Amino acid sequence: MNGFNIHRAYSIARKEVMHILRDPFTLALALGLPVMLVTFFGFAIDYEVKNIKLAVSDRDNGPASRRLKEIFSSSGYFHLVESDPGAGPVALVDSGRAAAALYIEPGFSKKIKGGGSVEAQFVLDGSDNSKAGAIMGYLPGIQRSALSKLAGTQVREPFSVETRFLYNPELNSRWFTVPGLAAIIIGLLAILLTAMTVAREWENGSMELLLSTPVRPLEIMAGKLAPYGALVLAGVFFVYLLSRLVFGVPFAGSHLLYLAACLLFVTAALSQGLLISVVTRQQQIAMQFGMITGLLPSMLLSGFIFPVESMPRFFQYLTMLLPPRWFMAAARGITLKGADLGELAVPFLALGLLSAGMLTLALIKFKTDLE
Amino acid sequence: MNRTLRAFIRKELIQTLRDVRMRALLFGAPIIQLTIFGFALSTEIKNIKLAAFSQPRDAMFGRVTEGFYASGWFARAGYTPGEDPFELIASGRADAVLIAPKEGLARSAERGDGKMQLLVDASNATKARAVEVYAKNIIAAAAAREYGARGEPALKFDVRVLYNPAMESSMFLVPGVMGMLVCLITIILTAMSLTREREMGTFETIVSAPLSNAEVLLGKTVPYIILGLADALLVVLAGYLIFGVPVRGPLWQLALAALALVVTTVSIGTFISTVAKNQQQAMLGGFMFLFPSILMSGIMYPVENMPKAVIAAAYLDPLMYFVRLIRSIMLKGGDAHVFWTNLGALALMALSAAGFAYKRFRQTLN
Repeated sequence: MNGFNIHRAYSIARKEVMHILRDPFTLALALGLPVMLVTFFGFAIDYEVKNIKLAVSDRDNGPASRRLKEIFSSSGYFHLVESDPGAGPVALVDSGRAAAALYIEPGFSKKIKGGGSVEAQFVLDGSDNSKAGAIMGYLPGIQRSALSKLAGTQVREPFSVETRFLYNPELNSRWFTVPGLAAIIIGLLAILLTAMTVAREWENGSMELLLSTPVRPLEIMAGKLAPYGALVLAGVFFVYLLSRLVFGVPFAGSHLLYLAACLLFVTAALSQGLLISVVTRQQQIAMQFGMITGLLPSMLLSGFIFPVESMPRFFQYLTMLLPPRWFMAAARGITLKGADLGELAVPFLALGLLSAGMLTLALIKFKTDLE
Repeated sequence: MNRTLRAFIRKELIQTLRDVRMRALLFGAPIIQLTIFGFALSTEIKNIKLAAFSQPRDAMFGRVTEGFYASGWFARAGYTPGEDPFELIASGRADAVLIAPKEGLARSAERGDGKMQLLVDASNATKARAVEVYAKNIIAAAAAREYGARGEPALKFDVRVLYNPAMESSMFLVPGVMGMLVCLITIILTAMSLTREREMGTFETIVSAPLSNAEVLLGKTVPYIILGLADALLVVLAGYLIFGVPVRGPLWQLALAALALVVTTVSIGTFISTVAKNQQQAMLGGFMFLFPSILMSGIMYPVENMPKAVIAAAYLDPLMYFVRLIRSIMLKGGDAHVFWTNLGALALMALSAAGFAYKRFRQTLN
C-alpha cells in the first residue's frame, strides 16, 4: 500500500457523490444559495446612501429658507420630513424617524438678503456611522450650491476637479460586489461542507472502518474533497452566468486565469474545512468553527466591503492569513482591471502557500491521531 | 416549574458545557471576534494611495497636494515622476492620481479655470465614491486658502453629531456585531444539537421519560436561551470594557430585547431541527436563515437604501428589529416609541416562532 492510487480515491469520490445525490435537499441548497446570494446582492445592495430622511424645522419660512430646502431635496440624497410643530426635529432623530435634522432660525431670509452671513444648524444621528459619514460628505457640496443660489454671489471657483473613474466609470455597485461574492460562496460552502462531511465520518465511526481498509489517508481526503470541490465550482459557474447575463458585469481579464484563481481558492477552502474536521471530529463543533473562521471574516475582513488598507496595520497583517483576502484581490483584478498573472503573483502565491500549509497541518494531525 | 424539568435543564446545560471546545466557541470566540471587528473595521476610508503629477513644477499644485496628505485620508504612493498614471493604478501602486492642468495650476487658476484631473481606481466602487467626496472637499478648502475666503461665506452649517460625536466606528459596529453573533450562535447550537440527538437516537430515551411534550421542548430549549442570554451579556460587557460603548438606556430594556431575540432564534433553530433529517441539512437550513437575515438587518447596509420588495422582506427579519433596538438603547438612550414598537414586533415573532416550533416538535415526537 504505497503511493497514491487514483482508483481508490475515485471509489471514495463515487461513494460521496452518491451520498450527495441521495440528499437532494443539500444539493439544492448548495446550488441554490449562491444564486440567492447574488440576486440579493445584485438587486438589494446599493452603497450610495440615498433617501436620507431629513427633518426640517423652518421657523423663518421666507424665500431663502424655502430655497435652501429645495436645494436639499433636489440634491437627490435627501427626503424632507416636516417635523411636528411642537416636538421639534431632534425628537424625530431620537425616535429614528429621521437621520438628520435642519434648523432654520427666524430672520434667515432677511439676513441673507442684507448680505450678512447666516448659520443653519444641522443635526446628525451618529448611531449609524456609515450614513452619518456619507451625509457629512454631501454637506460641502450642498453648501457650495446654496452659496451661489441664495446669496446670488456667483462664487468663482478658482479650482475644480474632474474625476475619472477607471474600470467602473458609473460606479455600479454590482460590478464590484458580484465578483467578490464568489469568494464568500466558495469560502463558506467549501469549508462547511467538507468540515461536516469528514467530521460525520468520525462521529459515526466509519472513519475507523475506512482506515482499516487498504485505502490511504491521502486517498480518503482526495476522494472526499473532490465532489465538494466540483459542487462548489458549479455554484461559482452559476454565479458567473447570473452576473454576466442578468447584471451585465464586465469581464476584462482572462477566463483561464480566473478559473485558476477559483481552483486555487477552492483548494484553500477545502484544506481549511479538512483541517477543521480533523481537529474537531464532531459536526456541531466543526460547523461552529467553520462559521466563525469562514463566514464573518470572509465578509468583513477580506476587503469585500471594508477595504483592507483602511484597517490598522496589525489587522492588515492579520488578514494576510485569510485566503478570501487574496482571492478577493485576484478576482477583482481579473474581472474589472484585466490584470495578468505578473500583477497577481502575490495573491496567487499566498493562496498556494496557505493551502499547502493547512493541508500539511491536517495531514500531520491526521497521522498523529492514527498512531 | 417541577423538579424533573429543572433537573433536565441542568443536565442539558452541563452536557453542552462539558466540552472545552464548546466552551471556547461559546464564550471565547464572540469576544475575540468582537475585538477584531471592533478594532479592524472602520466605515471611514483611510490610507488612499495618491500620486500627484504636474508637468512644470508648480508651487500652488504642491500646496494642494500637501492638503491631501495632511487630511489623514490620503497616503503617498510610491512612484517616480514621468511614469504612466494609468499604469500606476493598473498595478495597484496608487488608488488615485491627481494631475495638474497642462500649463500649471497657478496660471490656469488665474484664468478662473484651474481644472485638475483625478483618476480613481473604481474597482471598489464604495472606496472610489469616498475618494471623490474627500477630494472635492479638500480642493475646495485649498481654493479658499489660496484665494482667501472673500469675507465670511454667506451660509454656514453648524454641524452637530448626536450620540457618537467622534464618529467612532466601534460605537456603531459593536451593537450590530453583537446581534449578529448572538443570532449565529443560538441558531446553530439549537438546530444542530437537536438534530444530532435524533440522529444518534438519544432522543427516543428522552421521549420515554415521564415528561410531557411541552416539558421536553422546554428542557431542550431553555438551556440554549440561557446560553444565548449569557453570550449577549458577555458581548455587551466586552463592548463596554474594551471599546467604551455605553449603555445609555435602561438595562431592563436591553434585557427584554435580548430575551425576545434569543427566544425567536432558539425557536427558529428548533424548527429547523424538526425539518432537517441530518446535521448537514440542519447546517444548511441555519445558513439559509442566517445569511439573508444578517444582510437585511441594517448592520452593514442601511435598510432604507434597499428596493421596496427587499424592505418588505426585511420586516420579517428578527435581527433587523433587534439591531434597531440595541442601537437605540445603547447609543440613544432608548426612545420609548422605538422600544415598544420594535420590541412588540420582535415579541410577536418570538411567540409565533415558538408556537410554530412547538407544533412541529410535537408532530415529530409523536
